[in-house]
Amino acid sequence: MAVEIIKKKALAALADSLIGEGVLVAAPKRIDESIVLYEALDNASQMTLEGFIRPGNSIKEFVFPRHEKLYEYKLEGKEIELADIEPPTQRQVIFGSRPCDSAALSILDAVMSWDYDDIFYQKRRENTTIVSVVCGEFDSHCFCTSCGLSNDSDRGSDAMLLDRGDGSYEVHILTDKGKTLFEGKTEQIDAEPVDVPAGPPAEIDLAAIDAFLEGDFEDPRWNEMALRCVGCGGCAYTCPTCHCFDIVDERRGNKGARVRNWDACQHCMFTMHASGHNPRENQGQRQRQCVMHKFNIYKDKFGELLCTGCGNCSRTCSVGLGVKPVLRMIVQLTSEQTQE
Amino acid sequence: MAPLATKEREKPMSNIYLPDLMEITEVKQHTVDVKSLSMRFQDEKRAEEFSFRVGQFGLFSVFGYGESTFNICSSSTWKDRIECCFRRTGMNTDALWNVEPGDTIGFRGAYGNSYPTEEWEGKDLVFIGGGIAMPPIRCAIWYCLENRDKFGDITIIYGARTPGDLVYRDELDVWATHPNTKVIQTVDPGGETPDWKGEVGFIPTVLENAKLQSKSAAALVIGPPIMIKLSLPVLEGMGLGDTDILTSLENRMKCGVGKCGRCNCGSVYVCKEGPVFTLEQMKQLPNDY
Repeated sequence: MAVEIIKKKALAALADSLIGEGVLVAAPKRIDESIVLYEALDNASQMTLEGFIRPGNSIKEFVFPRHEKLYEYKLEGKEIELADIEPPTQRQVIFGSRPCDSAALSILDAVMSWDYDDIFYQKRRENTTIVSVVCGEFDSHCFCTSCGLSNDSDRGSDAMLLDRGDGSYEVHILTDKGKTLFEGKTEQIDAEPVDVPAGPPAEIDLAAIDAFLEGDFEDPRWNEMALRCVGCGGCAYTCPTCHCFDIVDERRGNKGARVRNWDACQHCMFTMHASGHNPRENQGQRQRQCVMHKFNIYKDKFGELLCTGCGNCSRTCSVGLGVKPVLRMIVQLTSEQTQE
Repeated sequence: MAPLATKEREKPMSNIYLPDLMEITEVKQHTVDVKSLSMRFQDEKRAEEFSFRVGQFGLFSVFGYGESTFNICSSSTWKDRIECCFRRTGMNTDALWNVEPGDTIGFRGAYGNSYPTEEWEGKDLVFIGGGIAMPPIRCAIWYCLENRDKFGDITIIYGARTPGDLVYRDELDVWATHPNTKVIQTVDPGGETPDWKGEVGFIPTVLENAKLQSKSAAALVIGPPIMIKLSLPVLEGMGLGDTDILTSLENRMKCGVGKCGRCNCGSVYVCKEGPVFTLEQMKQLPNDY
């Protein structure tokens, strides 16, 4: 049967030609033997789409940067001059996004357009084409299939690539952006489609999680589970869906800017009032916020989970926490309870 | 109380984080660490199109320092200015402390929901506030006094630890001159000074002693949690139900528009579905504020 493919060499050539046109091309890039990160490429030879579970970061930084100016100001005596900032218009193409990363952006669209349009996010999003790659392997941290996704989910992708194992990818065009990107770059061959590799078995019972999260808000077991969290925020920073941010003023002499930076609900100051009162003063309460935001609040507000089961949080965590470990603890605690 | 329609969308492609420039027109000091500011929009067109409802809040900032969230404590009927009242307590409020008339600050807003003044029409109103909680009540009081014939009897009970902690003291006396408007000022036992002429006692006690009676009333109660907790039974004794009693919450905020993920209590975003809540809604809120 007819299958649309692109040879890996041709994909690299496409990436190089886009770079030449001034498009920001991002893809997983091997930093050293221990880590691969999504980064903007200088050339296509830096692109590496397999040989690792998934990058240590997510693609959110291409539509929601770590640090971003919101506007600038100038102080002249008592006069203040504001300079609005136009969101960037540079075209971006991300090759080799994992399905858990691609789905995350489509999930974030809801909060970023909730009554007020965050044009910084939205403009970048409009200018970004996402080409996902089906995952060939998974590890014990992965749990996309417990979050309604899978290693071949096309949610949020403009096109998907499936490794044929013969130096080429099957190309599945999903949107107009994907069509535009691959126009004239693919070949039709007569072959059998390859099988999609197996994804992680779905193992978290979300119904048990829902029951716990709808239960006692001040359940003391949050501290049992989470007290060892050191509040580093690594989970939030590597997470594809975490989007909490801080807004601060940065001034140099008589000029400055109001900026936003990534923030994390695990930080002790996150909810600290000026009066000194902190509604979330221990790590158990802060962990509760993380899990509730992802599995209860976002679902309540926007109808879906704020988690794609990518596992970055637990891979990053130095004390063995992260969403999947905490969810497993909740399931275990609540099943022990029903057994009593 | 159904949440009011959320603020209509900003026009497309406009930066929701960009503030308006405001010129300070008046600075008033109330206590050793509380000041209020009056300000007007620098942009005439913006001044004309801006409107808000009492109960809403804004983010007030000094460029170079940061933004702080305060209730807009002026009446929505005053078209020439907006006001805020704050305690000097951190970096931005320290900078706000030093502004003078003629200076320029930033304002983003009006955000959040507001007091259901339409539902208050025809009712007797009880306004109860403690200490620095007066400003978010002040806007409602002035709004009601400016539309006096729409509302029934008005009772204002305001207290603080000591006379030196009361804010808008001069206005308290002015309010008492309005028809069917009673103002009871109180300080905590032990906080009275020799020249203090008001009540001495905690607010719940003073409220009880006032022996208010009404066939149909609503109350706005803002202050320390213990003050609210102990005032509730007295209000309930007056016949007020859980949807007749309102409060205004605070939480740490940054964006004010529901994006930065910081101010929520469970599923309720204080900046979007608050800061005004009925007692019924408060009872359902998790202890996250």
